Amino acid sequence: MTKQKTSSWIKIFTIAVFITAICAAAYAASLDNILMRWRKTAKYEDGTSNLTVAVTYYSAELVEAEIQAEAEKNLWTQDELERYKYRYLQMLNLSEMIPIKVEFVNNGPTMHPGPFDKMIDMTIGNKTYEPADYDKRLNFPFQGEKDGLVFFNRFDPKTGKNILDGQKRVTITLSPGISAIISSRGRNARFFWDINKDDPSKLYAGATAARLETDRLIKRLENLRKDRADEAARLKAIDDEISTVQSRLDELATIQ
Amino acid sequence: MKKFMAVLAMVAVVAFAAPALAATNPFMDVPQGHWSYDAVGLLASRGIVSGYPDGAFKGAQPATRYEMASIVARALVTVDAEKASKQDMELLKKLVMEFKDELDALGVKVDSLDKRVAVLEDRLGGWKVNGQFWFDARFASNDDNGNNSYSFGDTPEKNQFGFAYARLMVTKYIDENTYFFFRARFNDGYGDLDNWFMDRFFVNMKLPGDINFRLGRIYSDWEGDAGLYHSVMGDNEGGLWKDQKYDGFNFQKSFGMLDAELLIGRNFNILDSNYGSSTYGDNNDFMEYGLKLQANFSENFYLGVQGIFFDNDGDAMVTDNTLGRQVVTDDIQQYGAYLSYSFTPAIALRGYYYWQDLGDNPVYEDSPMAWSAMLDVKQDLLKFTSLWVQYIEQDNSFIGPRAANQYPAIFNPDLNGPVGQDGTNKTWLITAEQQWGDSKWSSFLQYLTTDWDSVDYDDTDQYTIGIGYQYTPQIKFWLAYNYIDYGDGAGTGANAYKGNESVVLFRTAIDF
Repeated sequence: MTKQKTSSWIKIFTIAVFITAICAAAYAASLDNILMRWRKTAKYEDGTSNLTVAVTYYSAELVEAEIQAEAEKNLWTQDELERYKYRYLQMLNLSEMIPIKVEFVNNGPTMHPGPFDKMIDMTIGNKTYEPADYDKRLNFPFQGEKDGLVFFNRFDPKTGKNILDGQKRVTITLSPGISAIISSRGRNARFFWDINKDDPSKLYAGATAARLETDRLIKRLENLRKDRADEAARLKAIDDEISTVQSRLDELATIQ
Repeated sequence: MKKFMAVLAMVAVVAFAAPALAATNPFMDVPQGHWSYDAVGLLASRGIVSGYPDGAFKGAQPATRYEMASIVARALVTVDAEKASKQDMELLKKLVMEFKDELDALGVKVDSLDKRVAVLEDRLGGWKVNGQFWFDARFASNDDNGNNSYSFGDTPEKNQFGFAYARLMVTKYIDENTYFFFRARFNDGYGDLDNWFMDRFFVNMKLPGDINFRLGRIYSDWEGDAGLYHSVMGDNEGGLWKDQKYDGFNFQKSFGMLDAELLIGRNFNILDSNYGSSTYGDNNDFMEYGLKLQANFSENFYLGVQGIFFDNDGDAMVTDNTLGRQVVTDDIQQYGAYLSYSFTPAIALRGYYYWQDLGDNPVYEDSPMAWSAMLDVKQDLLKFTSLWVQYIEQDNSFIGPRAANQYPAIFNPDLNGPVGQDGTNKTWLITAEQQWGDSKWSSFLQYLTTDWDSVDYDDTDQYTIGIGYQYTPQIKFWLAYNYIDYGDGAGTGANAYKGNESVVLFRTAIDF
C-alpha cells in the first residue's frame, strides 16, 4: 500500500471516529442504553466456540427505567405501577440485599459452575464478600442459556453498616474454573460498576415506600413479639424456678 | 417425638429449597411459638403431612418408621432438586438412606435423587472432561504457487478434510479455591491422530489477600484481556502480542482501581533458533519477567502499562543455516502502553504502543515499535451490525510470539514473514458481525490488508464472508468464503510470496 493510500485511510478513519462520536453523543438515555450501562457483558471466544457472560447490577436508575418501561408498555395507571414496583422491589429485596443477575450463553464446552457461591464473589473497597443466597440452578453443569439471581448481604453482619456507604465501586469476580473456555484463555471474568451516583433511596418514595415500610415494620413487630415471648418464657422459667426453690426452702425450714 | 419433628423440618427445607416462608398451620395443637410451626404448616400446604380427622396433628405422638418414610417419600416427589443446595440434598439423601428399607417396601424410586446428589458431589471431587472438535472441509483454488498454503499440512492440496483442532480439556477442583487444568490438543489436520500435546498445564489458586496465583505451563493474553485485537474469523489469531506461553508463576491482584499482574518463568515459545520456522522450538533459552499495571479510572476509561524482559541464557550470535540468517540470542526488552475510552457502553476507542530494545540481536532495527488504533462498535448501537476497525503499524524487526507473520492469514499458512528485515508493515482490519435477532443465525464480513513495505513481499489482501448456524449449544455449522491475494512479491523459495487463493470452508464445531 502506498503512502498516499495510507494517508487517505487515516483521514477516513478520523472522520469515522468523529461521526461515531457524534452518534454516541446523540445516543439518548433510552432503556437499552441504561440497561447496557448496568448489564456488563463479556464474550469469550475460541474460534467458533463462544461463551457470553452478562452480569447486571440493579441500580436505582435501572430499576426505575425497567418499571417505567413496563408501565408504558402496558399503559398502567399510577396505582398499577406502584403495585408492580412493590412486587419488583420485594422480589429483589433491595432493602436488605445487593442482588446481582448472572446470565450465561454458553456455546462452548460444558460449564461446571457449582457450587456457585464458591465461584462468585463481590469486592467492595478492600473487602470481598460471598453470596448470602443464590439461585441453586446455577450449581449444575450446562451448555446453552442459564441465568439466576445472586444475593449479597447489604449490611455487614458484624457492624450492621451498609457496605455500600461511601463506596465508589462494586466488583464481581467469577472463578475462571467455571468454564474451560475462560480458563484456557487465561482470563479472569471480572465486572465492575461505578456506583457513586447510584441512590437506591430514590426508589423508596410514595405509596410503594409506605407499603414496603409497613412490611418492614410488621416484620420488626413480629420479631419483637417473638423476642418478648422468648423473654417472657425465660422470665416464667426463672419465676417457676424461684417458686420451686422457695418451696424447697420452705420445706427445709419446716424440717429444721 | 423430637426426631420426627426434626425430620419434618428438614424435609420442609429440602422440599422447597427456599427461605421458610411462613404458611398458615392448619393444626390446632401446634402452638404458634413452636419451633416446627412453619415447617409443619408448609408441609401441610403441599400435602406432605396430614393431620387427624379431629384437626389435630399430634406432634408429640410417637411415629413409626413407615410414617417417617412416607414423609420422605412425599418430599421426594415435591423436591425441586435444581433449587436445592448441596447441603439440603445431602440431608435428604441421608434421610433416604436411613429409611431405605421402608422406602423400598413402599416402592419409592430414589434413582433420580441419587443422580442429582451425585452431580453436586462430583463438582468438588471429580474430574471434569470437556472437548472441542472443529472438523473442516476445505475446497481451494490452489493458485498460490504452493507456498502460502491454506492447507493442514505442509503440502498444499486442493480439497482437504480434517481437524482444525481436536482438544480435550480436564478440570479438577482440588479444593474450593484451587483447581488443576490441562488441555491436550491435536492439530495434525489429517491422518492418524498421533500428534497430541499439552499446551496448558497449570494449577490455579486463590491465595489470602485475594491474590490469584497460577503455576505450571501458563498462557498469557494481555492484549486480549485489554480488548486490543479482533480475531481473524474462524481462528484464534489476530493479536500482535498474544498466545504467549511460559513455564512459571503468575500473580494477579487488584488494588482498588489498579490491577497488577506479575509473571516469572521460562519462555520456550519465543524467538530461539527455531523462530521463523513453522514450528516453535522447545529450546527454552529465555528467563522471562513481566509486569502489567492497569488503572481502571472509571467504567469508561482504562490505561495500562506493561514491561517484559527476556533474559537469554547465551550471548553469542548464531546463524541459523536453515533460515539463512542470524537469530536472536541476546536479551529482549519490551515496553508498552495502552488505553481504552468508551463514549457509551456500545462504542469504544482503543490503542496501544509497544517498543522493544533488542540489544545486540542481528536485526536491522534494534529498537522496533508497533502501534495500533481501533474502534469497537457493538451491534447495540448500529442495530444491524457490530463494527471493528483497526489500524496496526509494526516494524518488521518487531518480534514476539505472533508478530510479523501474523497478518493476514486465515488458515495458518506456512509463511515466514519478513522478520528481522527493514521496513514497516501496515495492516487494516475491518470486521462487521451480525447476530440475526434472537435466531440461531449469524453472519460476518471481514477485510484485512497488509502492506509489508519490503522487497520480497507485496501487499496482501484478504476478504472473508460467512454465515454461522448455532444448531444447538453443542453444535455449530459455519460456512465461509475466503480470498487471499498475496500479490507478486519477488522472493524465492520459502519466501515466494505470490499468487492468490480462494477457499470455501465448511466447519462443524462440536463442544462438549
